[in-house]
Amino acid sequence: MHELSLAKDMTRIIGKVLGGCKPLDTVNITIGPLSGISPESLRFCFTEVAKMEGFGEPRLVITETEAKLICLDCDAEYQAKEFYQGCPLCGSFNRRILSGREFTVDSVEIMEGTD
Amino acid sequence: MCDDITKQTVNILTPVMNKNDRFAASNRELLNGKIIYTLNLISSPGAGKTTLLESMARFFGSKMAVIEGDVQTDRDAERIRKAGCQAWQIETGGSCHLDAEAVNHALGHMDLESDELALLCIENVGNLICPSSYDLGENLKVGLLSLPEGDDKILKYPSLFSRISVLVINKMDLLPHIDFDVNRVIDECRSLNPEVLVFTVSAKTGEGMEEFCDFLENQFSD
Repeated sequence: MHELSLAKDMTRIIGKVLGGCKPLDTVNITIGPLSGISPESLRFCFTEVAKMEGFGEPRLVITETEAKLICLDCDAEYQAKEFYQGCPLCGSFNRRILSGREFTVDSVEIMEGTD
Repeated sequence: MCDDITKQTVNILTPVMNKNDRFAASNRELLNGKIIYTLNLISSPGAGKTTLLESMARFFGSKMAVIEGDVQTDRDAERIRKAGCQAWQIETGGSCHLDAEAVNHALGHMDLESDELALLCIENVGNLICPSSYDLGENLKVGLLSLPEGDDKILKYPSLFSRISVLVINKMDLLPHIDFDVNRVIDECRSLNPEVLVFTVSAKTGEGMEEFCDFLENQFSD
C-alpha cells in the first residue's frame, strides 16, 4: 500500500508548483506497467489525500504507457503492457528493460472564473 | 458571480520519485565517498532477514553496520548489536517500506568514520511489494526468499524479483521437510531477470553463508 505515500508525494509536488493548494478539476499522470504501482489503489488513495489536503475532488486521469524491452536472444526491440509478455518474435523472456518504470505527474487543470 | 468558466492547465512534468531519488543520490555519494558498500535487503516478514544479518555479523564483525527498518519496535537492532555490529533502528510508524530520506536521517546518527567499516546492510520493512519501488542509495539490491514461503512466489512479485541483483534462498535446512523446487525458483527468477546471482543458505545452520559473505567481501574489496 505504498500508493498512500505516493499519493501524498503527488499532492506535495502539485502544491509546490502551484505555490499552495487549490481545488483542482483534473490531475493527469503517467504510470509505466513495470513501475510496481497499482493504478486502482493509487486512485483510491489519491481521492482521499487530495480531499484531505485541500485540493478538492479532482478527476485522476491515468495514462498507462507500454514498456520498451530488448530481447537478449534475438535482439528484437518490443513493447509490452505487463511483465509476462515475452519477445513476440522468439518467445524469450531473456531481455533488458529500456523503459516502463516511469511515474510522473504531468499536469493539472484548474477551474477559473468560478468566483 | 462569473459564468465564464474556463480551465487552466498547469504543467507539472515531475517524476513522483524525484525527492526520494535525490536523497538516494545523496546517500550514495556519502557512502561511496567513505568507501562503504551498501545493500538493500528485501523480503517478506519472517523470511529470515535479521537471522541472515546476525550470521553475517559473526562473519564480518566490525566491518559491518546495519540499518533496521520496521513498522514498530527496536527488537531487530537489539539483535544485531548483540551479534556484535553497530545498528540503527528506523521505526516507520506504519509505513510499509523505507525511503531514502529515512535512510539519510539514520546515516546522520551512525558512526561511519571507522576505517574498518566497509559494509552497510539496510534491512527493509518485511514486504515484497512496496520496498521494490524505492532506491535507498544502495550498491546492491538483495531479495531474500525462504523455503516455507513456497516456490511459486517469484512470478507473483515481479516488481521486486526483476530489480534485484542477488537472490538469497534461505532456510535450506528445511529442504527435506518441505516441497520446494529450488530450480523452479531460480529459473523463474532468471526469466524476469537474466543476470541475477543466486545463493542458497541456511542463516541458522550457517550452510552456504561463507560463499555469500565471500561474494560480498569481493564486492567491497574491489
